[in-house]
Amino acid sequence: MSDLASTSAPAAAPAKRPTGEILFALVFVSVGVAGLATAGSIPIPPSETGIGPRAFPYIVCGLLVLCGAGVVLQVLRGKVGQAEDSEDLDVTAKTDWVALAKLVGFVVLHIFLIEPAGWPVAAAVLFSGAAWSLDAKPLWKAIGVSVILALVLQYVFGGLLGVSLPPGPLLEGVPFFHG
Amino acid sequence: MLLLEGFSTALQPVYLLYALGGVFVGTAVGVLPGIGPAMTVALLMPITYALDPAAALIVFAGIYYGGMYGGSTTSILLNTPGESSSIVTALEGNKMAKAGRGAAALATAAIGSFIAGTIATVLLTFLAPVVADFAVGLGPVDYVALMVVAFLTVGALLGASVLRGLASLALGLFIGLIGIDDSTAQQRFTFDNPTLVDGVDMVLVAVGLFALGEALYVASKLRHGPVELIPVSKGKNAWLSKEDWKRSWKPWLRGTFIGFPIGTVPAGGADVSTFLSYAAERKLAKGANKAQFGKGAIEGVAGPEAANNAAAAGVLVPLLTLGIPTTATAAMMLTAFQRYQIQPGPLLFENQGALVWTLIASLYVGNLMLLVLNLPLVGLWVKILQIPRPYLYAGILVFAALGAFSVNFSPSDVGILLVVGILGYFMRRYGYPVAPMVVAMILGPMFEVQLRRSLQLSQNDPTALFSSPFALVVYVSMALIFAASWWLRRRQTTLEAAPAKEEVSV
Repeated sequence: MSDLASTSAPAAAPAKRPTGEILFALVFVSVGVAGLATAGSIPIPPSETGIGPRAFPYIVCGLLVLCGAGVVLQVLRGKVGQAEDSEDLDVTAKTDWVALAKLVGFVVLHIFLIEPAGWPVAAAVLFSGAAWSLDAKPLWKAIGVSVILALVLQYVFGGLLGVSLPPGPLLEGVPFFHG
Repeated sequence: MLLLEGFSTALQPVYLLYALGGVFVGTAVGVLPGIGPAMTVALLMPITYALDPAAALIVFAGIYYGGMYGGSTTSILLNTPGESSSIVTALEGNKMAKAGRGAAALATAAIGSFIAGTIATVLLTFLAPVVADFAVGLGPVDYVALMVVAFLTVGALLGASVLRGLASLALGLFIGLIGIDDSTAQQRFTFDNPTLVDGVDMVLVAVGLFALGEALYVASKLRHGPVELIPVSKGKNAWLSKEDWKRSWKPWLRGTFIGFPIGTVPAGGADVSTFLSYAAERKLAKGANKAQFGKGAIEGVAGPEAANNAAAAGVLVPLLTLGIPTTATAAMMLTAFQRYQIQPGPLLFENQGALVWTLIASLYVGNLMLLVLNLPLVGLWVKILQIPRPYLYAGILVFAALGAFSVNFSPSDVGILLVVGILGYFMRRYGYPVAPMVVAMILGPMFEVQLRRSLQLSQNDPTALFSSPFALVVYVSMALIFAASWWLRRRQTTLEAAPAKEEVSV
């Protein structure tokens, strides 16, 4: 999986040129090639009488390589993919890479906050950060909403539904935030 | 009768409350723009983590139907195209709303959904045990055939690009391979990473692809400014008139009988059935009603909405009796079942009969609740539609992160979620459908087991895969389905082009 993340990052090319699309199709090819290269080292137990644990991986990785390569060919011939539609989407807008980077950054921050600061704090940071990245105005309102949302979720999930979300040092002493 | 026992569980006050909660939350989340039924089920998975299996299934039944229903409200009232299963509803529903007939459109959708849902659930009640009995006799070769069909229809048939669909499918199969091989206990593609030994959790992939991927994608090109909603008019003209009833009831029934069979075979579930129903209504309409198509014909809302819900019930037939999900939403339901150690398949009705019948009973209950809830609560759904978009997508991120974290209470799972989310973003950007990946990931390991079993039985002779008469029938039907879909696709392009032309000529 880490392989996917690192190779899809350079796909950040302008939308008009299909460079990004070709790079992304190559991600499929490279995962397939990596799979084909490593599938041979899957140990086969001596008792195995059927096709064994390697056959299906070979098929799947072969399919990945073929499909990825096929898409690359299609794009090179000018048949680019049809971007997905959605209700809140402004298809004419240019991709807002800054907002995307901010969102990804806040999710990363959230991941590192869960254990030291507790889930509610991490969630409030994620919500207000994401709302800020998407131009929520005014900012204080977004922060207010995030605090309420985080506490309500902690109460409903941690308290009522018994999902053990860590309340964190700030709320450790409040009994109804635990299961 | 077993169904009555199911009802006796489902009608207990506590469980009724759970059903109400499930239906309500499912609809509320389903109404949110950009959130389809599959994403609704994926996002709401954590709310059932602490419930007992019966309660969890009841909540899921509600979420499933509620999520299906919620989408139609969105497409009728929101001024922008919606998710695929209700996009046909948008064609006429949106026009009706603009003409001040939004309430009538919502009503025909709600009543049609109820009628179709109920009839389809009755059909499910009678059909499922029969299919399960038959499925007990199926061998591994037959399962291989069924799953090949499921793979190919989801991967190659439904998207705009066959190659991208298959690429998405292959990637899902690959992720499904990560972890320990069931048959030989060998590690595959784990790269000696301890977190990968148990495989990648389905919930992480589904929530990452559907929720995070969608949120990132929309965020990258967010429509700024106020949300454009069509106001729901009140007053005498707004509600269904006698004429509307007369024009609606046949499409409701036709939609039901188009939707249910299509749901039961792996032929695309809701999307295909809504389109077929729309095409049928358009063809059958006469005179002035026909001229209304493209400008807000009530038949064009009633039929597809009924077909949509009937297909949703139909999808449960292969899911419950064969354990084969044929849509992304069904794949999410299967994931939810597996969390409770419930393995759908031919033996499900024998081993866990009580649970299954409770689930089916709660489908009836949920359906009725939807009808009762939906019409009076339109005002609330409108409010939900108006949630400022920064808050909406920030909320989706928080919920996705919550869902991922609560799988194993490990922050590193949220990291996997982020990676899958970024992948989902690029898939949307470059036109790769995400549904095949989700279906493949859950079906892949099952497919491999059956494939290896079939080959083991035949001493590795691949022709054995075509040896059973049932498998042959399946492959031949697949060829027919592909031929039919090719024909339909051509019709769809001409149909989609048609309303645009009419507008120009008028």
